[in-house]
Amino acid sequence: MTTKKQAALRVGETHVQAVRDTFPGAVLDATWQAADQVTITVPTDMLPDVVEFLYYGRGGWLPNMVANDERPLCGCYALYYLLSMEESDPGFVVVRAEIDPDTMEYPSVTPRVPACVWSEREAFDMFGLRAIGLPDERRLVLPDDWPDNLYPLRKDSMDYRKRPAPVTDVENYSFLYEGNAEETTEVPMGPLHITSDEPGHFRLFVEGEDIIDADYRLFYVHRGMEKVAESRLNYDAVTFLADRICGICGNAHSVAYAEAVENAQGIEVPVRGQYIRAILLEVERLHSHLLNLGLVCHYCGFDTGFQHFFRVREKAMDLAVLLTGARKTYGLNLIGGVRRDILDEQKLATIKYVRELRNEVEALVDMLVSTANFESRTAGIGRLDPAVARDYSPVGPCVRGSGIARDVRFDHPFDGYKFLVGLSARSHDGCDVQSRTLVRVEEFMDSLTMIEQLLDGAPEGPIQTEDWQYTPHKFAMGYTEAPRGEDMHWAMVGDNQKCYRWRAKAATYSNWPILRYMFRGNTVADAAIIVGSMDPCYSCTDRVTVVDVKKKTSTVLTKDQLEGYCRRRTHSPLAGKGW
Amino acid sequence: MLKLFKEIRKAGDATTGYPFEPLEMPAGFRGKPEHNEKLCIACSACAIACPANAITMELDDKQSRITWDISYGRCIFCGRCQEVCPLFAIELTGDFELAVLNKDDLRESCSYEVACCSRCGKPYASAKEVDYARRVLESVGGTAAADIEKVDLCLDCRRFDDAEAFAHQAPERGEA
Repeated sequence: MTTKKQAALRVGETHVQAVRDTFPGAVLDATWQAADQVTITVPTDMLPDVVEFLYYGRGGWLPNMVANDERPLCGCYALYYLLSMEESDPGFVVVRAEIDPDTMEYPSVTPRVPACVWSEREAFDMFGLRAIGLPDERRLVLPDDWPDNLYPLRKDSMDYRKRPAPVTDVENYSFLYEGNAEETTEVPMGPLHITSDEPGHFRLFVEGEDIIDADYRLFYVHRGMEKVAESRLNYDAVTFLADRICGICGNAHSVAYAEAVENAQGIEVPVRGQYIRAILLEVERLHSHLLNLGLVCHYCGFDTGFQHFFRVREKAMDLAVLLTGARKTYGLNLIGGVRRDILDEQKLATIKYVRELRNEVEALVDMLVSTANFESRTAGIGRLDPAVARDYSPVGPCVRGSGIARDVRFDHPFDGYKFLVGLSARSHDGCDVQSRTLVRVEEFMDSLTMIEQLLDGAPEGPIQTEDWQYTPHKFAMGYTEAPRGEDMHWAMVGDNQKCYRWRAKAATYSNWPILRYMFRGNTVADAAIIVGSMDPCYSCTDRVTVVDVKKKTSTVLTKDQLEGYCRRRTHSPLAGKGW
Repeated sequence: MLKLFKEIRKAGDATTGYPFEPLEMPAGFRGKPEHNEKLCIACSACAIACPANAITMELDDKQSRITWDISYGRCIFCGRCQEVCPLFAIELTGDFELAVLNKDDLRESCSYEVACCSRCGKPYASAKEVDYARRVLESVGGTAAADIEKVDLCLDCRRFDDAEAFAHQAPERGEA
């Protein structure tokens, strides 16, 4: 009797009931967007209580918060706190709150659930929605020279082609120091990252060689894709734009966007299409993880290994060309399925590639872990405390290296992953760079197994469907596990065949806020390898500046100096400069 | 260490002769789109499908010619144009060497004559597209080709005719 009753419950029903029981009258509305997604609307002043309850009380994690200008629809702004429920009754619960367009204020959730911090800062940049009680009210996305009171994603704000005149010539961003020690040295690292050669400005607060705290600023290459998608592209062309969010894991974004629209519109992708999507996602993971393993070699001073990982990685790139017609930006997703089938001869060639990759990477990994430098450079470095991880909801190998096996492929199986057998999320509990690297190694091998299983299991049949009715203003989430962690997209289509609102959350967006905790207690020489172990997706810095708080001086280190120091750990480039 | 040397020896030379010798791309590689202007009927399907607006169609000021234009600088090599073309007039090739010294060399275009409505004289489609429609209808024959002369009319005139025919049939339908 009880089992029958449980079976009749929809996914997320227990969570909604729990919120109703704990906060009587809080649930104003509950609607299901897809089988595993429910959105509850709560009064704005109850927002922090409900989100905190679902997060800590019901085993929720917070991938993202989406702000939306719904004045043309319901006369107010809306916030959507997306919660991934990963303990009992797995699924997604979205907490929605409406915000009065006159006050533009809502109570901040960040003091209760720190994972909201970036999203709430971004909501202010893009919409001017002020979170009352938000501890960090600095700009996140917009540059210093952007005018106040111009909020680009408001529906009535600006044309997407317009770039307002700069309002200031000076950088006025302030970096926050949270440590206790008073006599620290400030080490700016940026505007490009040292090893990834991508833009991001880091400020390390050091005492001698030890990092006490760190703060950083990113979004130097913010491209305004969400605005472009909402203004210029038809909703079915956005998959191609999503492909270009990232040069490494673009396909994961493209699939996530397509699934967001498909979930919202109730479009069922044919089973073969689902298998092919999963295969291509895993092919993407192959080259991405090999890239990171190569970089780990590089940071450990094992450059021969770096060259060989990149040599083998070329096979994964060839495999992508074979299956998609391009090394990167696969461009194979459409709303409703994929554009290219995997033929028998391609299947055979893929299996051959998979075998070669398995043998070659096993040999290389063997060499990497038996290198003395690897152990000494990575073990115990860049510790991510599981408690910090719980507060900030990081994703991917970052969180899995701290003993928490979160992986949407297994937590919320989608596409071809529903049909896999005998695999589960990997984790290591060393909490350090080494654990994160080992997780990647195991996942790489799992990916090969997955590709084999998926190729074998894929049934015959169509790969895309055109059978659906377009309904305006429906919204839902789409999610994939990119090589760096989950990509979470939220999309609402409008009444003009365009996205009304599209929010693309890349994996690394969830990981940046924890970096300062990973830095603490390490030395300047470890900074590059710690950032590298996150496998961040941004543009890195070329130069690092070191500032002595006590002496109020600063030194700029070049990329070569810092990289060399990371590998040798002797001949500090700061020596003899009064440090 | 010995293992490493063995691996290095086994791997051999990983570099290829490119660019001093040609690099073959596997079948299905999505490179430079080649447009066959003879097959093309200037129907604009590719321009509508192109997510990057690399392909555009533009009518000149006199409304006598329509120009098909591609910018390889904007092209994202997705191949949507190839998929939607009814005449296989555009195809992605294995050519990936697109660098040019002069930015204008990234554009290619060709123009087509525009057909004008035989009744009202308004331009309404490319002449090749009208001709293609006529030939398709002729080859099908039967009822499909019954009012074949109507391909010379613009959409507005055809709608007008349809409405008039509908009105004439009113007595047959028993309407006053």
